[in-house]
Amino acid sequence: MKFIITLAFKNLSRYKRRTSITAVAIAVGLMMYLLVDSILIGAENESMRNLRWYETASARIHAPSYWEDRMLFPMESSIENPDAVLALLDENGWKATARTVFTADMILYSEDFGEDGNMNVLVTAIDPETDNDVFHFSDTLIDGRFLEKGDENGILIGSWFAEDINAKVGHWITLVARGNGGFYEAMDMQIVGILNCPNPNVNRTLLMMDKDTAGYYLGMNQAVTEIDVLLPEHEDIDVEMAKIQAKIEASHLDLEVHSWKELAKDYLAIAEAKRGGTSMILFLVFIIAAVGISNTMLMAMYERTRELGMMRAMGMSDNNIRLAFLIEAGGIGFIGAVFGIVLGLLANLYMVNVGIDFGWMMRDLDMGYRIQSVFRGAWSMSSFIEAFVAGIGLSMIVAWIPISRALKMDIPSCLRHQ
Amino acid sequence: MIKVDKVSRNYIAGESVVKALKKVSLEVGDGEFMSIAGPSGSGKTTLLNLIGCIDSLDEGEILINGQQVTKMNKKEKTEFRRNNLGFIFQTYNLIPVLSAYENVAFVLSILNVPEQEIRERTYAVLKEVGLEGMENRRPSRLSGGQQQRIAIARALVKNPQIILADEPTANLDSKTGEEILKLMKKMNEKYHTTFIFSTHDQMVMDYASRLVLLHDGNIVSDERR
Repeated sequence: MKFIITLAFKNLSRYKRRTSITAVAIAVGLMMYLLVDSILIGAENESMRNLRWYETASARIHAPSYWEDRMLFPMESSIENPDAVLALLDENGWKATARTVFTADMILYSEDFGEDGNMNVLVTAIDPETDNDVFHFSDTLIDGRFLEKGDENGILIGSWFAEDINAKVGHWITLVARGNGGFYEAMDMQIVGILNCPNPNVNRTLLMMDKDTAGYYLGMNQAVTEIDVLLPEHEDIDVEMAKIQAKIEASHLDLEVHSWKELAKDYLAIAEAKRGGTSMILFLVFIIAAVGISNTMLMAMYERTRELGMMRAMGMSDNNIRLAFLIEAGGIGFIGAVFGIVLGLLANLYMVNVGIDFGWMMRDLDMGYRIQSVFRGAWSMSSFIEAFVAGIGLSMIVAWIPISRALKMDIPSCLRHQ
Repeated sequence: MIKVDKVSRNYIAGESVVKALKKVSLEVGDGEFMSIAGPSGSGKTTLLNLIGCIDSLDEGEILINGQQVTKMNKKEKTEFRRNNLGFIFQTYNLIPVLSAYENVAFVLSILNVPEQEIRERTYAVLKEVGLEGMENRRPSRLSGGQQQRIAIARALVKNPQIILADEPTANLDSKTGEEILKLMKKMNEKYHTTFIFSTHDQMVMDYASRLVLLHDGNIVSDERR
């Protein structure tokens, strides 16, 4: 055994250039794997965080009939007594806020926007005092001010939306919306602040006004369309959901709770599909490394055919010869894996702390990710371990084929080999 | 004792069949220093390979010390070679990344000889073949003659009953070739090891105590001296 290991490691130094090139190929392959993996994990983590922080919260409470027609934002299916629900949640330590979401026709005026126009928009009416307990919009203000409780005309707009319609703080718009009961109401609103929301889907369409003002115009009588709940991130979402549902039922409130996973089902399905696609990329990276190793081992076997014949003639068993070559291949894999891990660490250090700005692409392209510009990596110990083991394991697996081929040759042919 | 009985070996070359050996029979006693001579293509190497259990025959049988080696399976042949046979090749076939010492010691390693014994026996055999002080040199830093001495040491170190040498001096100049032959003869006399070597060099034939001449796969003469 000692001889086999000695031989394998001495052979590693035999073709230094070839060993180095193969090890570099493995290292670059593993680094690419770690980099892509880090970006994907980082993008997914940040997307899910931005979903909860700016879109869905951790969970949402609706009237039972709301869920089925949720794409129509039906104001008739509202929560009649939100204060009772909020009090119940507060009693049990859950932070929550009430919101009313409605569709409207937004009218733009040439005095402010250069030309007259109108468009369909989605408006979120919030409670400025409690919304930031659940969502994180107050951190995203880049111009003007945030909403105040009872703000009669103030409205906030997403920065990309503002850019698209050339909106500035101080501009006036009119919202025409169908109120609770079927009547139409016009609301003259002034843009008081611009929010640069890290969630691009929100930033493209965001219009936010005071809940009480919206309730007054739309005839909501204190009702809201949803109550959003913040749950601690480390808690099991399903367990917490069950607890909330139980408390609601115990209080005889006819309401439903939906987790952010249900609310973001479409995103999660796309993320899952993306994971499959990116696995293919990772697989290709591995194939490239595998071809490099396989080629190196093939050349090594070809050049050492006579030596192989001699060892077999001397009575060395095929298994021992195979083991020597496999250790050698594993050695190349080990060198490549060590360098790959070091390169991966350095690349990941940059990705985690600095990241890559894809803002130029994300501005006009919806890839499903809830990231506006900078994609940052994430540390994943399991990926590093996987990469290290795969680097060595893969090297040994791909070496198996040329070794087995060489061992199939008869000994006289090996000895005659030029 | 080696008994080769009506052995035939054919090779397929394209669409034709080359009859390398045609019902060759031969007996080799223990401790013989025998040369198999003949022109290229006469079947010398084929006969050596068959005795060395590294090739398979089409007809006949070979017995070494009463064991029918031709009936052995691959694993048994490997074990038989490991325990009983030594090989010397025309091109030495040393492992270039290993030192002279390691090239010889590896034969004992695969026999699972204890480390201390490997060291003692390897140093002793290297001294015997005149390579004392060169144990740590790699083959690339040694002359052709010195490399062949390592190959002889490698064949001798496990004290095999039989050493098979395929044109052992073909790559050496005549002076070095003669030194190698003297060394092989000395080892033959000292350890009573059977040496069978193929050659078409007259000087090598002159050193042999028995000369078997092959021609077109047939033994045409068998002369003891």
